[in-house]
Amino acid sequence: MVKYTIKRLLQSLVTVLIVVTVVFLLMRMLPIENFFTEDQLMKFTEEQKHDALEAAGMLDSMPEQLVRYYGQLLHGDLGESRRIQSGQPVTAVIGQRFTVSMRIGIISLVISLILGVTLGILQARHKDKVVDHLGTAYTIFVNAVPPLVSYSLILVFGALVLDFPATYSTRNPGISSVLPVVCLALASTASYALWTRRYMVDEINKDYIKLARVKGMSSKSIMVKHVLRNAFVPLAQYLPASFLLTIGGSLLVERFFSVPGMGPLLTDAIGKYDTNVVQALVILYAALGILGVFLGDVLMMIIDPRITLADKGGTR
Amino acid sequence: MKKSTAKLTALTLAAMMALAGCGSSGGSTSGSGESASSDQLTDLYTWETQAREVETLNVLNSQNAADSNVITNLVEGLLSTDSEGQLIPALAEDYSTDDNGLTWTFKLREGVKWVDKNGEEKADCTAQDFLTGLEFVMNYHKNASTNISMPQEMITGADEYYEYTKTLSEEEGRALTADEGSKFLEMVGIEAPDDYTVVYHCTSELPYFPTVATYNCLYPASQALIDELGIDGFLACDDTTMWFNGAYLLTSYTPNNEKVLTKNEAYWDTESQRFDTVTIKMIESLDTGFQLYQAGELDRIDLSESNLTTIYNDENNEYHDQLVEKRPDKFSYQFHFNYSKMNEDGTPDDNWNKAIANTAFRQAMYYGLDLTSYYARTNAINPLKCENNFYTMKGLVYTSDGRDYTDLVAEKLGLGESDGETMIRLDADKASELKAQAMEELAAEGVTFPVEIDYYVPANNQTSIDSATVLKQAFSDSLGDDFVTLNIKTYVNNLTAEVVDPQLQSFVVNGWGADYGDPQNFLGQETYGEDGAYYSMNYSNINDATDEELISLYQQFTDLVNTAKAITDDTDARYEAYAEAEAFMIENVLVMPCNYNIAWQLTHVNDYTTKNAAFGIQNYKYVGWETSVDAYTTEQYDEFASGSGNGASAAE
Repeated sequence: MVKYTIKRLLQSLVTVLIVVTVVFLLMRMLPIENFFTEDQLMKFTEEQKHDALEAAGMLDSMPEQLVRYYGQLLHGDLGESRRIQSGQPVTAVIGQRFTVSMRIGIISLVISLILGVTLGILQARHKDKVVDHLGTAYTIFVNAVPPLVSYSLILVFGALVLDFPATYSTRNPGISSVLPVVCLALASTASYALWTRRYMVDEINKDYIKLARVKGMSSKSIMVKHVLRNAFVPLAQYLPASFLLTIGGSLLVERFFSVPGMGPLLTDAIGKYDTNVVQALVILYAALGILGVFLGDVLMMIIDPRITLADKGGTR
Repeated sequence: MKKSTAKLTALTLAAMMALAGCGSSGGSTSGSGESASSDQLTDLYTWETQAREVETLNVLNSQNAADSNVITNLVEGLLSTDSEGQLIPALAEDYSTDDNGLTWTFKLREGVKWVDKNGEEKADCTAQDFLTGLEFVMNYHKNASTNISMPQEMITGADEYYEYTKTLSEEEGRALTADEGSKFLEMVGIEAPDDYTVVYHCTSELPYFPTVATYNCLYPASQALIDELGIDGFLACDDTTMWFNGAYLLTSYTPNNEKVLTKNEAYWDTESQRFDTVTIKMIESLDTGFQLYQAGELDRIDLSESNLTTIYNDENNEYHDQLVEKRPDKFSYQFHFNYSKMNEDGTPDDNWNKAIANTAFRQAMYYGLDLTSYYARTNAINPLKCENNFYTMKGLVYTSDGRDYTDLVAEKLGLGESDGETMIRLDADKASELKAQAMEELAAEGVTFPVEIDYYVPANNQTSIDSATVLKQAFSDSLGDDFVTLNIKTYVNNLTAEVVDPQLQSFVVNGWGADYGDPQNFLGQETYGEDGAYYSMNYSNINDATDEELISLYQQFTDLVNTAKAITDDTDARYEAYAEAEAFMIENVLVMPCNYNIAWQLTHVNDYTTKNAAFGIQNYKYVGWETSVDAYTTEQYDEFASGSGNGASAAE
């Protein structure tokens, strides 16, 4: 286990390094005009543009810029934001946003896990009955309707009929988080219900369940001790990553409800050529993704002792 | 689900969130701020789209309208503007020149304080702060070359000082100040004879120099704050670290969510009409903004095309009688032709270049192209309100008898009044004659018809593509498919890099917003053979053109502009001369005026009392605004627009 962990850690470091380098190079391959705002492109003289690029080190050769960036990283310096919040340390820019995203994300994740898994269990237990059909209809509805449409419906109903704040407010975060949380939970509830039902139906049809029934085990006991436990293994693998990546927020929901979170940050930073922010986010997301997968493996192993993380003879 | 059950469920969710450590709850976000004693709003809830979030709160380092719209409320400069774009005092009580604009003296008001976010006094705001501000701007190692162009051009020694700082190491450059005996004061034409007088020495006689005092580059900065925060800290100042001397304090700032501005009790103009608080909500789109307006969370909202037509077409809609037209934004949009167009393979597009160099060809478009349907894309109800027949923006400057400069241009062009049905400049017979003349002349030069016109729009912007499609149809209907064909082409990300630099466009439609209040700032962008002429250098590529007749026209236009520029002792004569140049440019269609942007809105704010200058950064200053607890009606706004019932007197 220790050896496996160290190996995974080293592999992860190499992966993050490659990702960072590729993103660094891709950002520098964008037209240099992206460095400037439309106003600056219109009003800056060529000399001003040259001076601004020179001051930012953008006229240095690519290897020089890359080495300088690695040097900064080794000193734990992620640099400063250039345009998202000009001059502010990237850590501060990210720091003030991720807690908001994570809080809303975790609440919606917990709600959708509870509701989704419960719904999935009910659907599996009452397969081809009314509950199952209703659950399936909900899943199809959520997946078929474009998110912006369902978010608009929730906004109109929530704000105009139920009087909930239509946008997030830092002065009143509890009540103003309701509509964003509902939107976030809407889709993931359907997803958890869908997969829980599917894995449980798969398990129910397996021979060992039939044997258990023949041996006289109660239906409830079979569902809880065998079916649900085994059906939950594949779901559990993705739970740590889901929890960790709540930091990333949701682009659509956060934009829609003006939630000051991480969701729109990456696209905004790319659009504004804020290279330090882009690179910091890439490192963060890559690291969290890798950690999430690793923790998922560990969680799976805990739930299902047949799975080991050993190099030889293991399943993974 | 019953309404009560739904609410209960949602409240349970809210309670869960509160238990999960949501933080403290505070003020309400809903509802307009209403005055208990009058029908004016005491608290204003307004909006900005998320794409226009503030990037910096440092006034000297900002060159972005979205920043300035907030900062102008927090930091005060020498002068401001009124609802008609006229200069009015701000920190400078008075300004004057004794030598036709070569030297400008600004007398500052006493007792102005710098305060922090909590309103605690930090320092006096004196003349030295204006010296410090300009030094910071012109120092290569401090302000990243932002906002330097106007001081470089207008203030003696500023350019030399900038170049001097470039020769220094970063450490040496950053150590410079504007203190007595400094290199800055030795080199640059600015001085502070006493604590409340600032004198600028201009590079030439500049009658319009005071209008520059409404722009970022001449704003003040306290050396004490710079010393406290350091150069980088000052550049990155935020609501918690910056000092304020403006009408409001930034008391709450959450990026991509909202900003709360609170009345600054230490503001110099305590008598002015101000709100107790102004909340600027960042919204995803106008559609979500409209929903916020409906929920009472905003006091004004611009309408998207779909919301506007829905409300307009339904007389029973609760907002139907509250539809009001905004005033035009500060940009004057033009068709900027490319006189040295290239094909995508890098070879010159001779067919287009010969055609556009022909005066009759350009004039046929000017007199023949009916843009009404194109205007309807911006203003579906009154499309012709968007008609633009000038190069310079309306309201930029006025003659001594109060006439708008563009009225002089209209007079010289012989433009009549709009009949509200068709564009003023259209003349079908004349267009037809010019078209025949152009086709004859150009055919003799080997030009083939229809002439292909390449027009580029962003590939990911459906609105732009739809507008381009309307424009294509307008070209076809107005000018005939035997004459021209408009090709809609797309670029991926960056117009400048992908289209303008390789000179692929036949024209672009682009708006210019003034930096300072003089026609030179508009017309100077189109002159021939001058480095500072932005559009000539970057869009029209006129300096690369070879057609002698075209070059001759441009040289005549440039001479007219420079003649006007040289008149510094008589403002009326100067404007008259600029109007002559502009009329010449438009008559010969060196550029072709296109449109103004005029949107529709629902609002509790009388826009005719808000600052409205074509230059500077004052327009979003929430001072002197007349508002109403009840939304204004179409009828009221028509009165405001026609001048009767105008609340302009409430301003300032």
